Amino acid sequence: MSELIEAFRLVVAPDVLIAILLSSIYGLVIGSLPGLSATMATALLVPVTFYLSPIAAVATIIAASAMAIFSGDIPGCLLRIPGTPASAAYTDEAYALTRKGQPEIALGAGLWFSALGGIAGTISLVVMAPLLAELALNFSTFEYFWLAFLGLMCATLVARSSPVKAIASMLLGLLVACIGMENPGGVPRFTFGLSDLLGGVEAIPVLVGVFAVSEVIRALVSPEPPPLPRRRFGSILAGQLALTRKYWRQMTRGNIVGIIIGVLPGAGADMAAWVSYAMSKRFSKEQHKFGTGHPEGLVEAGASNNASLASGWVPSLLFGIPGDTITAIAIGVLYMKGLNPGPTLFTERASSMYALYIIFILANILMIPLGIIMIRLASQVLRAPRATVMPVILVCCAVGAFATGNNLFAIVLVAVFGVIGYVMENNGYPVAAMVLGIVMGTMVEQSFVTSLIKSDGSLLPFFERPVSAVLAAMTISALLWPAFIWLWKRIRPRPQEHAL
Amino acid sequence: MRLSDRITGSFVAVLGVLATYGGSQLPPVPGQDVGPSAFPIVIGIGLVLCGAMIALGIGHSFEEEAEADLAAVEGPPQRAQPADSPIHKLRALLPPGLLLFYVYAADRLGFVPTAAIMIFAASVAFGARLRVALSLAILAPVAIHLVFYKLLRVPLPPGLLPMPW
Repeated sequence: MSELIEAFRLVVAPDVLIAILLSSIYGLVIGSLPGLSATMATALLVPVTFYLSPIAAVATIIAASAMAIFSGDIPGCLLRIPGTPASAAYTDEAYALTRKGQPEIALGAGLWFSALGGIAGTISLVVMAPLLAELALNFSTFEYFWLAFLGLMCATLVARSSPVKAIASMLLGLLVACIGMENPGGVPRFTFGLSDLLGGVEAIPVLVGVFAVSEVIRALVSPEPPPLPRRRFGSILAGQLALTRKYWRQMTRGNIVGIIIGVLPGAGADMAAWVSYAMSKRFSKEQHKFGTGHPEGLVEAGASNNASLASGWVPSLLFGIPGDTITAIAIGVLYMKGLNPGPTLFTERASSMYALYIIFILANILMIPLGIIMIRLASQVLRAPRATVMPVILVCCAVGAFATGNNLFAIVLVAVFGVIGYVMENNGYPVAAMVLGIVMGTMVEQSFVTSLIKSDGSLLPFFERPVSAVLAAMTISALLWPAFIWLWKRIRPRPQEHAL
Repeated sequence: MRLSDRITGSFVAVLGVLATYGGSQLPPVPGQDVGPSAFPIVIGIGLVLCGAMIALGIGHSFEEEAEADLAAVEGPPQRAQPADSPIHKLRALLPPGLLLFYVYAADRLGFVPTAAIMIFAASVAFGARLRVALSLAILAPVAIHLVFYKLLRVPLPPGLLPMPW
């Protein structure tokens, strides 16, 4: 109990509250601009977190990412351009509602069910994390190896691309993580004689390059989105209670699916939205209404993507294995702030953990009033032309990367990975898989090599301990899953074709 | 820049071969079988396998499905435009080029002039009117400098134009 009071004391500190408010506004604006994703918003926040207290730093990330995932719905609904990839799944549906003259319903559903989903995700984090922490205390390097490997495999499974290319991206990330001296032998590896590479390739410049610079490049070669027509909205939240009552089943299902996908290492909000929208359509009694401006799918997918955000923190806090690309950044910040992820975090720094839960709840409650203001101002914010936003983002990329180590080489990395990210994404190689490979590379290698040394080079002990055997089975089935799907489709012709 | 699977797959495979070879050349830890070379070799072999499969077009059907899903949301791709000339495509190199320019020039010119040049060039490339681009190039670097230098204490180089704070 004293820890809970201590946690409240941590959260109500003025710097934390101001950080939450400012980063919420920042997240809302960035998320609503097409092409600027929640991950990018978070990556650009990192240099700012250097100068904040640990709790305030984590608070900015939580608040900004939650807001950005919601506000990605706004341009999706009004312009048919998803603001973040997590909104892409149901953009069409939301836009159809706008065309029917009911943008309030679509935006309100996005806001209301995002906030409820975020709170459901937080509850799952509160319940699940301590239980799993107890289990995790018994983990050895074998389990950690499989867990990290499973995380990487999940990242490839959920990528909306060829699984082979996703695995190749993931391996590329692991290869990049090999660079530097931090390896079992302590020898310079793949540094090509460059002293700047001795310390390895840091995750933050890579993230900024891959998620921000490549977006700037893409914006430069693609046509400008159409301007938003000015319109006045009716009441945003009116009718949402009725929707909640009507679709509470769908909402709960969306929450649960979102939580599960979030907990899976590597799979995040985008995937949660796609799966939930598809599920909603599949199980709906009014399937024919989907795509014509029917709120049912919006409810389920909106509830899902925000729920996944909070539960994505479960593997991140417990094992240091990111639940999605946003928590991949958050883990770096946690380490920097001395909140090293691991099961002991819950026993030794319990008050910090409670503070984190409180921030989640607070951010999701704050989302409703701020979200309403944002929707009302959307036509002004979305009017900001790319020609003024993108150049500033580019300079912020340079300064942000420089700030991570006061080192100009980081900016070279940003430029290089900006190009790599752009080329990869254009050719169907999912960059998120590569990023997770880079973030988790050192951990995978350490647990792999330590385990191999312990077992004298034999692979058998990797499967002998009960938990590691289960994790191994899950990993291998994740590896074989695409082949299974392919075979299944070969044997059975696609049912959708008959339906059409 | 869209390349065929054959090219990207071969590139991945060659990278795998190089990683395996480079990894195998690393000095071992004395008295131990497993050292710094184990992990790159495993990754290298994986990359070779993936690269070969990509070049042979295995797994391509998944990609087509995902694209069909996305096309259903975003409408038909609007890429094929007359402006798609080689010069137009070269604009893609501008953002990384400007970042490298920053690395080269920041210490010589200082943050504010360097950032002003970057912003001006980028906003012109995005098609901003000259007046907008100029005023943005004058105001934005000063604002960014204020936030990062004054509030966040990032040691941005003063160069030719030190700010009064």
